[in-house]
Amino acid sequence: MLYREAGQFKANYAADQQIFPIRQDRIAVVVLLAVMFGVVPLVANEYWLSAILTPVLIFALATLGLNLLTGYAGQLSLGTAAFMAVGAFAAYNLILRIPGIPLLVAFVLAGLSAALVGIVFGLPSLRIKGFYLAVATLAAQFFVVWALTKFGWFSNYSSSGVINAQKMAILGYSFDPPAPKYLLVLTIVTVMALAAKNMVRSSVGRAWMAVRDMDVAAEVIGIRILHTKLLAFAVSSFYCGIAGALYAFAYLGTVEPEGFSLDLSFRILFMVIIGGLGSILGSFLGAAFIVLLPIFLNTITHPIEQALGLTLPPGLMSNLELIVFGGLIIFFLVVEPHGLARLWQIAKEKLRLWPFPH
Amino acid sequence: MPEPGFRDRLVFHDAIETLEVDFSNLAFDSPAVVDAFFDEQDRRLAATGRRWYFLVNYQGCTIAPGAWDRFTERGRNTNVEHSLGTVRVGASGELRQQIHQDAGREMFRANIFSSRDQALQALGVIRKRAAARGSGEGRFLHVDDIHLRFGGVRAITGVSFHVERGEISSIIGPNGAGKSSMLNIINGVYRPQQGSITFLGRTRRHMRPHEAAKQGVARTFQNIALFRGMTVLDNIMTGRNLKMKVNFLLDAIYLGPARREELANRRVVEEVIDFLEIQHIRKVPVGRLPYGLQKRVELGRALAAEPTLLLLDEPMAGMNVEEKQDMSRFILDVNEQFGTTILLIEHDMGVVMDISNHVVVLDHGEKIAEGTPDDVRGDPVVIRAYLGAA
Amino acid sequence: MQFFFEVLIGGLLSGVMYSLVAIGFVLIYKASGVFNFAQGSMVFFAALTCVSLVERGLHFWLALPLTLAAMVVLGLATERIVLRPLVNQPPITLFMATIGLSFFIDGMSQLFWGAQPHGLDIGIADEPWQWISDATGINVSVFDLAVAGIAAALVTSLALFFSRTRIGRALRAVADDHQAALAVGIPLQQIWGIVWAVAGFVALVAGLLWGARNGVQFALTFLALKALPVLILGGFESIPGAIVGGLIVGASEKLAEVYLGPYVGGGVEGWFPYVLALAFLLVRPEGLFGEKHIDRV
Repeated sequence: MLYREAGQFKANYAADQQIFPIRQDRIAVVVLLAVMFGVVPLVANEYWLSAILTPVLIFALATLGLNLLTGYAGQLSLGTAAFMAVGAFAAYNLILRIPGIPLLVAFVLAGLSAALVGIVFGLPSLRIKGFYLAVATLAAQFFVVWALTKFGWFSNYSSSGVINAQKMAILGYSFDPPAPKYLLVLTIVTVMALAAKNMVRSSVGRAWMAVRDMDVAAEVIGIRILHTKLLAFAVSSFYCGIAGALYAFAYLGTVEPEGFSLDLSFRILFMVIIGGLGSILGSFLGAAFIVLLPIFLNTITHPIEQALGLTLPPGLMSNLELIVFGGLIIFFLVVEPHGLARLWQIAKEKLRLWPFPH
Repeated sequence: MPEPGFRDRLVFHDAIETLEVDFSNLAFDSPAVVDAFFDEQDRRLAATGRRWYFLVNYQGCTIAPGAWDRFTERGRNTNVEHSLGTVRVGASGELRQQIHQDAGREMFRANIFSSRDQALQALGVIRKRAAARGSGEGRFLHVDDIHLRFGGVRAITGVSFHVERGEISSIIGPNGAGKSSMLNIINGVYRPQQGSITFLGRTRRHMRPHEAAKQGVARTFQNIALFRGMTVLDNIMTGRNLKMKVNFLLDAIYLGPARREELANRRVVEEVIDFLEIQHIRKVPVGRLPYGLQKRVELGRALAAEPTLLLLDEPMAGMNVEEKQDMSRFILDVNEQFGTTILLIEHDMGVVMDISNHVVVLDHGEKIAEGTPDDVRGDPVVIRAYLGAA
Repeated sequence: MQFFFEVLIGGLLSGVMYSLVAIGFVLIYKASGVFNFAQGSMVFFAALTCVSLVERGLHFWLALPLTLAAMVVLGLATERIVLRPLVNQPPITLFMATIGLSFFIDGMSQLFWGAQPHGLDIGIADEPWQWISDATGINVSVFDLAVAGIAAALVTSLALFFSRTRIGRALRAVADDHQAALAVGIPLQQIWGIVWAVAGFVALVAGLLWGARNGVQFALTFLALKALPVLILGGFESIPGAIVGGLIVGASEKLAEVYLGPYVGGGVEGWFPYVLALAFLLVRPEGLFGEKHIDRV
């Protein structure tokens, strides 16, 4: 009843092309943004801001990047963490070595560095397809982490490559406390998500999807395959680079190359799969899911422990995580390959009919 | 006996390069009448030595069932020889009904307008399109001594043929004759070991597919090559890819140039959708559509590129009689309304004979016959290899 | 020069170890067309199960068949629950499903048997064989040679199995075309069961040998990653290819580490095989022994 589209007619193509064609959706999004920007920083406590919302946003950005590459352009990548690492270390070095460089400029340049690395490791995609490409990205993953560890210049010659990200400040205003930090991350992520949505609904997004679905036909239509694939790598790595910079500057504070290992790449791939391949909304849902799941598991095992009077072995949690992650991946791929985003869509479709059954 | 009134029924308008043909209240009672009219018309057209747009007035016109075949045949030949594009004026519903009753067929359903003004307007659009494309004299498509091998397998041996601008040409032959490979070569997907393709006056051994696309070649595939993850609308929009110049940064911002380009191209795509009568499925993901509709969408994607040459690989495969009629009409309409040259591969002999001006017959990678449908149908070599003794 | 040979031979022999793992991949790929990323986890599971059973008091020769049975069950369950529902999906999807599977198996293995590393002694010492050292001055480990011998025996028996026996022929038919195989009456289920059993056996052998050398610990699961370059070099569908690929990866890895390493501070063997595989993909994507695929449009 609430969600009816009755009466909402589109009188021109512009209206039809909107991101949120249904008025109720538009209202919901406006309300959501108002809450996220206005209400949350005032009411949420530090734990929620620093340990949940900020990392979810940062991972969502990285997931968005990987989704553009793997979900929309169909190029499987196992090197996401490597591109994040490039972003993080590039931002660190830029701020360290160019005094007075504005924070956002440093971030953008860090993203561009990651994009360059992405293009280099995406070059093989002209000759290699599908999951063989995963090997190229694996090479990127191992090589980048090794290079960042071996060449001390990157970490200013600290031991084992650990760097302490500098405090963030724009025009003298410090973004160190949790609330401003969260708002900065939220702003960056919102802008980039909007840009991503715009890209996927216009000709570049269609070119990516065409290359994903059938590249021979795409070439016949006139789409330049190499150009399109490299663009996907570049844009995706740019997003991952900025996510990496935020990861270091706005979340962990202290990072090392080992922290951007294959494990992180897999984690982000899982966020893409569970959230939904080829979906902007899905990137956010997947990131939230994976970040919240361990916390959720933790929260329910404690009462169970107490109720049953057991003390569960310490390794159990991490093993349980592995089992649940692995099982969920298989479950989603088998049952709903389009992930949570599709489940959300189905829910909305049911909502359109509510309270009628069909 | 030639009717004295025929002279008045043919008016040449030099300024808009148009020949206005007045069939109004004319009764084509027999093939003889048809021949009389078209002889007069063709004679006068040949005298001008150039091509014209046709504005044909069908109001009150009747065509007897016995004259229908001759009418369509003469009409088609005239189009190939002299036409740049055709628009028709007629009380479309009524005339169509009548012809349906009398001749048992439907008439072409596009570019029929109810008033002369509308017809002239449409003609203006066709002329503008043609001007934008450029007319390019010289050889349209010439295939010269093509040899293609896959490892040890000889797919095509020494095939040459010629396609005129504005024609509908068919390639026929048994399975494995090399027909799809031939299209793939014209289109740049395969590279021949020997031989060359001359298109719009330029000769080359090989073009990359996207260069071919830039030159105005579009095609459909035997096993539908649609993008399954996208809707019908998006698939056809990808066909406009070469016309959309905006780069990805402007796309990311969207407001401004990207949005304008997107809406302008959407308009064109919607015209294609209207032409193919697929409005009701425009937001459906193509993977969910039945086979016949998918073929239509693929044709739409090819048409969206406003091609000069359209390559169709078995467009009627797997269709029933009605679907074939629909598809035939679309192909004929594309040829007439947009002036697109069409080269198609088809197994249904009825369709081939009906709609083609020119037929090439391949067998085991070699050309065994070439000519008009009638020539080919009667050729004993073709009959033995392919058609079978009747 | 002596040193070079030592490094080379050491590399070749460690490459054989990679080959053992790669063979398991090839078997699954031949039978079901999927690259089973979880193979590494299965190796880990096999080794861990066997070792844990032995530590709980079972005799080695009893633990072995029990573990093998467990591997077969695991394989069949994988085929039924993971692979069959995804049968028409593109290879990327299947690959991602096996990544999920590997996480799942890792978690289950450690949940069952605990996460401590185990030592494993199979009675062969990891010392230079005196006889060769005395004769040529090159140090070659007895263990490595034993591994090479076992691998050779394994490959030979597999090769004979595939080419000479009826079941082997059926397996090759299944690998080629499932539908056609069904059409001639080959029992698909049984064949898959056999394939998984053989793959499980190979995984067990690899697990025990790797476990004996490095200890049975979580790091074994990452063998899957090392197998990728081996398979790219050798071709995904060829057992001889897995051997040759393994030898090349093993040798080049060690040589690169020794000769290239000092210039860049070491650690080269972590990424060298991948870069090598990458170069190979650009030049000869189907591998040394693989089959070329032609896309028909």
